[in-house]
Amino acid sequence: MDNEVPLSPTTADSAPSRRLSRFDDRSSQPSSDPALFSSDDIPASGLENYHAPVAGAGRKRRYRGTWWGEQVADPKRKRADFKEKRNVDSGVWMGSDESIAESSLPSEDASNWGEDLLKTVLDPRAPSKVSNAPSLFKASDTVATTVQPRPVIFQGPVESEEHKYAKAVINDCLEKGDDSVDLGSINLRYIPPGLLRPLQHLTKLPSLHEAPISENAYFSLQPFLRIYLSNNSLTSLYTSEIFDLKDLKVLSLRNNKLMRIPEAIRKLTALQVLNVSMNRLDELPWDLLWLLQQGELKHFTAHPNPFPSIDESGTAEWHCQFDKTDDENKDEDEDELDIPEASPIPKFRDYEGVPPDDAWTPIHVATGPVTRLDMEGRILDDSPSFNAPATSLPASRAPSLREVSLRAISKLPGIDQLTDSELLEFPALVIPLISLARQTRQEGAQRCSICQREFIVSRAMWTEWWDCTPHENGMKRPRVSGELLRPLPFKRVSCSWACVPGVQAVE
Amino acid sequence: MADSIQSEFVTLVSCDGFEFIIPRSAACISGTIRRMLDPTSKFSEALSGRCVLENITGIVLEKVCEYFMYNEKHKDQANVADMEIQAELCLELLMAADYLDT
Repeated sequence: MDNEVPLSPTTADSAPSRRLSRFDDRSSQPSSDPALFSSDDIPASGLENYHAPVAGAGRKRRYRGTWWGEQVADPKRKRADFKEKRNVDSGVWMGSDESIAESSLPSEDASNWGEDLLKTVLDPRAPSKVSNAPSLFKASDTVATTVQPRPVIFQGPVESEEHKYAKAVINDCLEKGDDSVDLGSINLRYIPPGLLRPLQHLTKLPSLHEAPISENAYFSLQPFLRIYLSNNSLTSLYTSEIFDLKDLKVLSLRNNKLMRIPEAIRKLTALQVLNVSMNRLDELPWDLLWLLQQGELKHFTAHPNPFPSIDESGTAEWHCQFDKTDDENKDEDEDELDIPEASPIPKFRDYEGVPPDDAWTPIHVATGPVTRLDMEGRILDDSPSFNAPATSLPASRAPSLREVSLRAISKLPGIDQLTDSELLEFPALVIPLISLARQTRQEGAQRCSICQREFIVSRAMWTEWWDCTPHENGMKRPRVSGELLRPLPFKRVSCSWACVPGVQAVE
Repeated sequence: MADSIQSEFVTLVSCDGFEFIIPRSAACISGTIRRMLDPTSKFSEALSGRCVLENITGIVLEKVCEYFMYNEKHKDQANVADMEIQAELCLELLMAADYLDT
């Protein structure tokens, strides 16, 4: 109600003289606040002075504010003081607000925050590294709980020339929307972390063809991501980043020094072409066969690589036919299939007419002997005797306590940042296991090839030989009738002894 | 408790005096405890059914016993759920696993 404009009081006697302002009129005391009119406090605006010259004649008086609380506008006052008032925090952060940016972003010693925390989490008894650091506050040394500042020693790895070049290539591709990333022949020894990650967000740009627009000017803007890492010196793909590129369609790793392909390749479900020829591989991950069977992978080049021959590594079981013309002198083996004594040559079955479906798909040729590992992942010496399913140790799918605690350790924050020297501070017994957990974190967890569970310590492994000839020639032609098979070794690992093939057959 | 009859339960004692009584079959998941309790060995543990684990604290041993029961429960199952382990316990648990050979 206070805000309402009061009505003018009812005046008993009409004022004889209107020269006086109503405020001077003693006879009529208003019960409420006196009414205000626009001309009230300006004496010169009375009726008598109607024609009197007004100060600043010729110009209309300018008022500011509401009509009852009006002020004469001060021409000297600038609107500029508005700007000073703006200093309050609007809550909207602008890129140009440098003052705020400095304080809110973590400073560079933030990279050290996690390490101390990790150390106390992993081993509460181990003395914190902080105490070794030269302390700025000698007095606080007595108080063990105070967090002492650590000298900031943060140096990124010195970027080598080839990494700079690779980064430039990737930035160029991102800028131009080029989905063919050529990192070939630049002597790359490893893929630095963070190099390939931006490619996740690669988007193609529409082409700016001048009119007339031809039919082939229309194309999909979905990137057909191709990465060529051929002719480098890569020894491992330890960075799991490349396997985070879900849209990767073509990957060439030809002519490198790779010893193995990580199981994490399974994540590249869109992969269509893979070339791993001219490396140092003696086995392929089982997950690769999964990609061939279930995924999009249509063109897989594996040869040449130093794969062992099927005879050298030995087989426990054959799953296919053999070249009948060669095995005249075959002996009956304990298996249900006929196995020639020396150098069996597996071949595809004879067919006539339209190639059957399995002329296109990978064929299981043979299974190698199972190697069992103990709870720490060491190969058991007497593995042949363990091949019988019923042993003194029951085959259980339940993970060992070591496995359970390693899974918890591998989920700790910062475990992948652990350096080798920090690793040595752990008790000697568990160093190999913790380094295994670190590797798992860096490369992504392995999955049991039978039950698909993630695990850290593999308990059994064996080689399965599969023929992938149609995929090797890019699905251009099926196997011909009676074609000799050239099987590739795929390594299978399992999380428990209950997952090895003999036990699996029972289920 | 008669020596000749093996009781169904065994007692595990931590270094700080906590005692956990769990089924013998569950405790024998650990290779170390299995050898301790082997009746042919004539160890005092085998006779009394009481294993004093000098280097495992009560907090860790509680988790170890939880694991024994978890393993016992999931022995024959195909899909085994993960066991919850607190971050601060996992390293000591790994050391205990090494000692207990499990």
